[in-house]
Amino acid sequence: MSEWSNWSGSVRFTPAAVVVPENEEELARIIRRAGDEKQTVRVSGAGHSSTPLVQTPDILVSMKNFNGFVARDGATIAIRGGTMLTEANEIFLEHGLALENLGDVDLQALAGAIGTGTHGTGRNLRTMSNHLVGGRLVNGKGEIVDFSIKDDPDFTLAARVALGTLGIFTELRLKLVPAFHLHRKEWCTHIEDCMVNLDKLIASNRNFDFYWYPRSDEAKLRTLNIPGTGPKDIPYAWCQKERTGWSGDVIPRSRGNKFDEIEYWLPIENGPPCFEEIRQRIKDVHRKDVGWRVLYRTVAADEAMLSGAYGRASATISMHHNASLPHDAFFRDIEPYLTKYGGRPHWGKKHYQTATNLKQLYPRWDHFQGIRRSMDPEGVFMNAYLRTIFEEG
Amino acid sequence: MGRKVWMISAGRIPLRSTGREPENTSRDELCFLNVGYREAQVKVTLFYADREPVGPYKLDIPPRRIRRVRVNNLINPEAPPLDTDYGAVIESNVPIVVQFERTDTSESKPAMSPMMAFAT
Repeated sequence: MSEWSNWSGSVRFTPAAVVVPENEEELARIIRRAGDEKQTVRVSGAGHSSTPLVQTPDILVSMKNFNGFVARDGATIAIRGGTMLTEANEIFLEHGLALENLGDVDLQALAGAIGTGTHGTGRNLRTMSNHLVGGRLVNGKGEIVDFSIKDDPDFTLAARVALGTLGIFTELRLKLVPAFHLHRKEWCTHIEDCMVNLDKLIASNRNFDFYWYPRSDEAKLRTLNIPGTGPKDIPYAWCQKERTGWSGDVIPRSRGNKFDEIEYWLPIENGPPCFEEIRQRIKDVHRKDVGWRVLYRTVAADEAMLSGAYGRASATISMHHNASLPHDAFFRDIEPYLTKYGGRPHWGKKHYQTATNLKQLYPRWDHFQGIRRSMDPEGVFMNAYLRTIFEEG
Repeated sequence: MGRKVWMISAGRIPLRSTGREPENTSRDELCFLNVGYREAQVKVTLFYADREPVGPYKLDIPPRRIRRVRVNNLINPEAPPLDTDYGAVIESNVPIVVQFERTDTSESKPAMSPMMAFAT
């Protein structure tokens, strides 16, 4: 069996078998058999996660046969569970619909992006997971479960961010918004001018984020607004680039350079002081080796049980490092600055947290755990990494 | 005018900076002059004392223009380490002129050291 690697190359393993089920019934049989034989089943998506969510010594499932459009009901689209995000965006647009927001890249599998709470930026915009209003999955007992926010609200709030621990999605039902254009502008300024004006920048743009460059103290501001809205000028910054187009074409950027990343969600009021401490720490200690920019975004509060934004509007701060360079010492050194301000880790990116700490961060942690155990009592979907997250001791 | 291959052997970006950045950031800079009528597509490879070379870093120099690039800011494929000796080979598809300049603000009074790269 050949080695599997994630996008950055920082997660590598060789599963005993890669299976490619043709349909839901075959997937259910695979899971039941794995349960009987005490094997671990994980799904390979696009491999964009920096954490070993996919890793298994046993069975790796490819969902490439579960691809494409299923049905439409008003603004709700049903789409197969193995569809890639770029393809999903095209399908939505064919129906005149779109996700409300997108992340910085669109290289992920849609189910993976939803299952890890992937987000973009915007004070009033929630994570991609919040579009999920129902779907079908095969749970750890090999049962096919059809759920909806109307009939199973708690289950849906658990399923929105579940790291693939409730089951394998065969179908996702997403409530979307009418397709829309955005005008994207990129501005250059000094980080101190950015921070002085941060609240106004966040409030006056539909989507706003900034990158801080640790080797120059400059910042790149990115603003996205419905054409004709938003500030025309930022007096202390100069516009470097601009573009208008469909949201799915304009929000994500292609990324040729591979990196690893740590990102945390903080209560929004804690974002600026946390960022300033990290900025100083990087300048004092890490600038010799760290050249990648630090990204600052905002996300609206939501109700998904394991969402980083559960119950609180959030600022997110992420550190990047070239994939070819060692990142561990850098990320480990910065993480305490993030946890000190009440940070929750992004599930798809590097972090060093375990169940004992994590359970303190999510008010509905125990409720989620109950649902998870009911869906997967034998732990078919629990790999070694997930056990450190969900099982204490 | 110019040459297609240039070399630098005395690279070392100072670690510390004094004063507001980016104007006072200690840095090594590559200074390009392209007097021709075609865009120069430049590849920079960095060499170190104790590991394999890293590159190419790809840069474009518009025709009949100059361009300054801080080595500090190179990121793709890899951020060069500060405070570390390096050499550079600069290859262009058209003849260009390359100068190399170090600005060191470690002390309160900035020190600047312009020098020519070596052409083959």
